[in-house]
Amino acid sequence: MGKKSKTSRKGKKAWRANISTEDIHDFFEKSTKDALSGGSLTSAPTESLFFIDKSQDLSVKKKIEKKREKVLRVDSMLKKNPFVEAVPSSKQKSSKKKKKEALNAKDVVQDVPKDETVPDSGMVPIWGDGGQHSGKARQVSKQSIIPAVEVEPPGCSYNPTFDSHQDSLAQAVAEEMQKAYKIELGPQPVPLTVMGEVVDEDDKYFIEADDGNDDQMDEENLSEDDKATEKRPLKTKRVTRVELNKRARRKEQQKKEAEAKKAVEFSKDIDNLPDILQEIAKEDEEKQKRHLRKAIAKQERLKACPPRLGKYKFQPAPPQVLLSEELTGSLRKLKGCATLARDRFKSLEKRGLIPPSAKSGRSVES
Amino acid sequence: MGKPKHYRPPGKKKEGNAARYVTRSQAIKILQVSLSDFRKLCIHKGVFPREPKKKVKGNHHTYYHLKDVMYILHDPLLEKFREIRAYQRKIKKAKAKKNDELAKLLLSRAPSYRLDMVIRDRYPTFIDALRDLDDPLTMVHLFAMLPAIDRLKIEVKRIHNCRRLCHEWQAYISRTHKLRKVFVAVKGIYYQAEVDGQKITWLAPHARQQVLTDDVDFNVMLTFLEFYEALLGFVNFQLYHSINVKYPPILDPRLEALAADLYALSRYFDANHRAAIQEPQVAGSSRSEQEQEESDLRLAQLQHQLPANEPGALMHLVQDASSEIEEDETTRNCKNLFQNKKIFLSREVPRESLLFVIPAFGGIVSWEGDGAPFAESDDSITHQIVDRPTQGHVYLSREYVQPQWVYDCINARIILPTEPYMVGRDPPPHLSPFVDDEAEGYVPDYAKTIRQLQAAAKSDIQPLPGTGNDELDNSQNMLAEGFINRTEAMEAAEKKQEMMFLEKQYHNELKMELQGVSSINKLNSEDTESKEQSLPDVEEQSAEDPSRLMMSRKKRGLYKAIEMGKQQKKERVEKLKERKRNIEAAQKSEKKHKKAQVS
Repeated sequence: MGKKSKTSRKGKKAWRANISTEDIHDFFEKSTKDALSGGSLTSAPTESLFFIDKSQDLSVKKKIEKKREKVLRVDSMLKKNPFVEAVPSSKQKSSKKKKKEALNAKDVVQDVPKDETVPDSGMVPIWGDGGQHSGKARQVSKQSIIPAVEVEPPGCSYNPTFDSHQDSLAQAVAEEMQKAYKIELGPQPVPLTVMGEVVDEDDKYFIEADDGNDDQMDEENLSEDDKATEKRPLKTKRVTRVELNKRARRKEQQKKEAEAKKAVEFSKDIDNLPDILQEIAKEDEEKQKRHLRKAIAKQERLKACPPRLGKYKFQPAPPQVLLSEELTGSLRKLKGCATLARDRFKSLEKRGLIPPSAKSGRSVES
Repeated sequence: MGKPKHYRPPGKKKEGNAARYVTRSQAIKILQVSLSDFRKLCIHKGVFPREPKKKVKGNHHTYYHLKDVMYILHDPLLEKFREIRAYQRKIKKAKAKKNDELAKLLLSRAPSYRLDMVIRDRYPTFIDALRDLDDPLTMVHLFAMLPAIDRLKIEVKRIHNCRRLCHEWQAYISRTHKLRKVFVAVKGIYYQAEVDGQKITWLAPHARQQVLTDDVDFNVMLTFLEFYEALLGFVNFQLYHSINVKYPPILDPRLEALAADLYALSRYFDANHRAAIQEPQVAGSSRSEQEQEESDLRLAQLQHQLPANEPGALMHLVQDASSEIEEDETTRNCKNLFQNKKIFLSREVPRESLLFVIPAFGGIVSWEGDGAPFAESDDSITHQIVDRPTQGHVYLSREYVQPQWVYDCINARIILPTEPYMVGRDPPPHLSPFVDDEAEGYVPDYAKTIRQLQAAAKSDIQPLPGTGNDELDNSQNMLAEGFINRTEAMEAAEKKQEMMFLEKQYHNELKMELQGVSSINKLNSEDTESKEQSLPDVEEQSAEDPSRLMMSRKKRGLYKAIEMGKQQKKERVEKLKERKRNIEAAQKSEKKHKKAQVS
């Protein structure tokens, strides 16, 4: 392109020459073109411009499908024949396990999103809205009939009535006394130290020698006895026929006598049959009573202490009662129990949740 | 086909105690865990030792049921425990090799376990969990008071958690007015609440230092606590959701710092209620995240702004609550006990307990200290709780009472006269609400006066029927008894007698007021005796009950045992009465002596 000629910009003509009228020309050109071809495309509806081609291109489709259907020989060999049943390698287990696994898998699936929804607290409503969850659960049977929190008797109030306080106090004292009596009346413990002088080494031999002497004496006596038996002549009397007959007769007579005696007794028994029946009834009743007493006693025992669960016996904690001089009637001055941890621990032992330990038993005794 | 037959070794038993029970060491062998892990697993899974009929391995072993052991064996928790143990070994190894960096890294990624599935397993329904809540609550309350000791592995974090759980529980109970009984004993304070028809009793220690004795195995206690903490957390969650409150509550940090958690929680409840009212509007406009943040902010602001001692606001809230939750009669009674009472706590009274108890019965309470809703100088205070020998400065507009007054009012369900509880006086005895006087047969004097007051309070509302009519009714009822069920008739008669007894007392009182006679006790004792005399003939009738003949031998035996127990109880009551009579006689004679000496 050559350089544009420099023209004067002062005249009106020059002004006109500088303004381009290209866009106007373009528009005129376009409109005339449209008019000749039959209306502008921008105003025409879409349907008139495009259409869906419904005529099928069959050859291409066939080609594709054919390729898809084709199975390689390798694959066809590996394919399972539906008419041949598989031989199980071992006996199939029951379907229970499978079901369980499926359930577990479901649980896992359910649990994960829940955790994601409530990440800040880590809390999930485990019981749902109705207070019950759907899963099957094993309920642990309640083992003990002792309540978890036993309310103290009214005498253990911080400001009890006189009567109930005396009652509780008496109970506490009785328990203490029982312990004391048990120690007093029980067998004397083996003393750790024995009074007396220390025995010298030499004396020890003498003590042992004395013991040995006694033994020897016994042995001698025994041997003497043996000698005596040996010396006695073996004398067996010959039994004659007469004697044998005598014996047989005596035996028969004894038998007869015994039979007669038995008959007499039997008749006697028949006479006082009602008495015997009564006796038997009495015995039965007694047995039953004993059984009942045992059952009730067992129930009572279970209410007070657990069954024997381990090596050590359960030792109940003493009741917490204020002494008479500690009764102030003021909450501020109350000397409350400071060993509640022990109380809880004892409660666990008492309900049989843990076997009693040696430690807790010993400290109560002392 | 039955069970598949397995090979049984020659020494093994097929059935009986030898096959069903295993000793602890056997159980450990089966489970392949250490002893400490086994103990933990047992506590978490609720498997406890049992006593077999025949102890095959000897008397000094602890036995477990084989089924229980298998129950543990199939739990995923067991696998988790093993994993944790293996991981601990890794850490130990890293430490032993002086590889601190690795040890630290491993520690930060240590696996942990959760107990929610175990809880779900052990308590299939929410009611089951509530039924078993006594022990968890007591344990958590206890640990909230314990000092943190490193030696026993009692961490500060856990104690704080315990305290938080306690306060959350108390706030719920107090908010929904579910508390029923309180008993201040030497051991601590016994509370009883009724949630969903379940009576839950727990023991909270007094606010004083607890001693940790060495005979307590704290490893066991802490394992129990671990389970109980988780359980109580879930229960609180469920309870809070049942009253439409978000569960991990966000507390005002200022109040929390002042150790007024309970108050902070109650305000949180209030704020939540307001937010619940406003929320529908917010939700209606849009639900974008920004909006939610905004509402959260507003909630926090509300918490700060909420006027605590504005009675109008409180009444408004009460109305809200009543419209939301349908309540039974006792709850309504409890809610209205301290209504319109403004109570101020002095410094020396047990604050924690009273802050929990008074709002549970509808009262407004404040205390001495920062963050309190209203100060001591507030004119509208009706009662001030003090526990000191003398009160210096006295406002005439309020009554000064000892803390026991609150507890006794709660147990009696009426506002008791404050005179006997005034400052400097020895208050009347604090009776246990857990004792059923009727069953025990012995009624202390103060219980009698309380009952009179209750009857009087009732008669203010309902006029007493005439005595003459009542007797007629009674005779008619006696005729009808032949047709009605025996036991029912018995109960009715007893009730009637009780009513008559109360009426008599009431009349006697009126008479005495007229005559100015002072010895109430004497009359009372006479009345009870007359009651005792009239009751037995009804009981004798029941003794000849034909149903008794129909009972099985076992049941008859039990029946006999029950009767024996009753007899013993009666004898005890008689003994108590005699003792009382003796005491009274002794006092009288003393008085006479004194009089004689004086004259």
